[in-house]
Amino acid sequence: MAHIPDGVLSVPVLAGGFVVAGGLVAVSLRRLDERTIPRAAILSAAFFVTSLVAVPVGPSSVHLLLSGLMGLMIGRLAAPAVLVGLLLQAVLFGFGGLTTLGVNTANIALPGILFGALFAPAVLRAEAGRAGLLAGICAALSVAGTGLLVALALALSSSDYVPSARILLVTYLPLMAGEALITGFAVSFLKRVKPDALAGVAP
Amino acid sequence: MIARLLLAFACLLAFTAPAAAHRLKLFATVEEGAITGYAFFIGGGRPEGAELIVHDAAGQEIFRTATDAQGGFAWTPPKPDDYRLTVDARDGHMAEATIGADRLGGVAAPAPASAPTPAPAAPADTAAIERAVDKAVERQIRPLLEAYAEAEGRIRFNDVMGGIGMIVGLAGIGLWAAARRKSRDG
Repeated sequence: MAHIPDGVLSVPVLAGGFVVAGGLVAVSLRRLDERTIPRAAILSAAFFVTSLVAVPVGPSSVHLLLSGLMGLMIGRLAAPAVLVGLLLQAVLFGFGGLTTLGVNTANIALPGILFGALFAPAVLRAEAGRAGLLAGICAALSVAGTGLLVALALALSSSDYVPSARILLVTYLPLMAGEALITGFAVSFLKRVKPDALAGVAP
Repeated sequence: MIARLLLAFACLLAFTAPAAAHRLKLFATVEEGAITGYAFFIGGGRPEGAELIVHDAAGQEIFRTATDAQGGFAWTPPKPDDYRLTVDARDGHMAEATIGADRLGGVAAPAPASAPTPAPAAPADTAAIERAVDKAVERQIRPLLEAYAEAEGRIRFNDVMGGIGMIVGLAGIGLWAAARRKSRDG
């Protein structure tokens, strides 16, 4: 769902995707230093691997995005991390496509960055259990945001491809739950063993 | 922390060895003059009620249906043509397949005009034999085509490791650039 293939979207939507993704990456690149690079690379690798693994759900199949976790852990560096992961997936496995790279990057990274920034201060202050809960909500909202953006990109391109609301609901609700669970556990674990992994979000 | 994350990756990869992937694909073949096949997600699952649209060579939409519970469909084209099949799972997943005129034309093609002198050993009904051969061949190659479509999208461990290696390399380049900048400034 988040990997829109080539040849579906119209040219203005593709161009808009590249502008948004390019802007996000350009803004965040200045933030890369020897402290943040390894962190961004690890999350990029995590995104690359986990979003390859799909499970059949109802009439569709879904995979984790980890965008909420990325937003919480590396803030706007999620943009280059997602871009690299998507580029490799497109080149190695034909998931998504090169022309849709911009749109897909924006669709996945933007909600993660926004909700990550929104929830990060609260997650930083909270103790482990509560932080996990907050992170779970953040992840679920990020997934919902990605679903909306994907539907928007498709709807703007052609009325033929407007996703059906029923199917989106059926597939995204389990994904939101799964994503919230994984992110919640990951964050409460990090909070206990390595709290400064989450402190890296300070913008 | 890095070692622990790497360990987590290794576990993840081990659990997903029969590599599941996320992509909709469309399998289509010709059987007895009908285009049949199914849509499937690599890694498991068939989209039920997905929209299947057939366009002819001129780009005109000529047929539209919904896939059944197994993601399957069947349609008998009115005449041999280059058909483009598109399946849309209504959630942002789309896939395409093409069936060329030559795969549909075998039976429908008019028999070549025979020479005025009748060939003595010519079978009585060439068309019937051709149809029977087509049918047998279609039945035999279908599993092959299915296996190929399945294998085409499979995720290979080597590719995954290559991708991770690429990310590590990029991080290395970034660190090198950062160190250079720092030593120049300092």
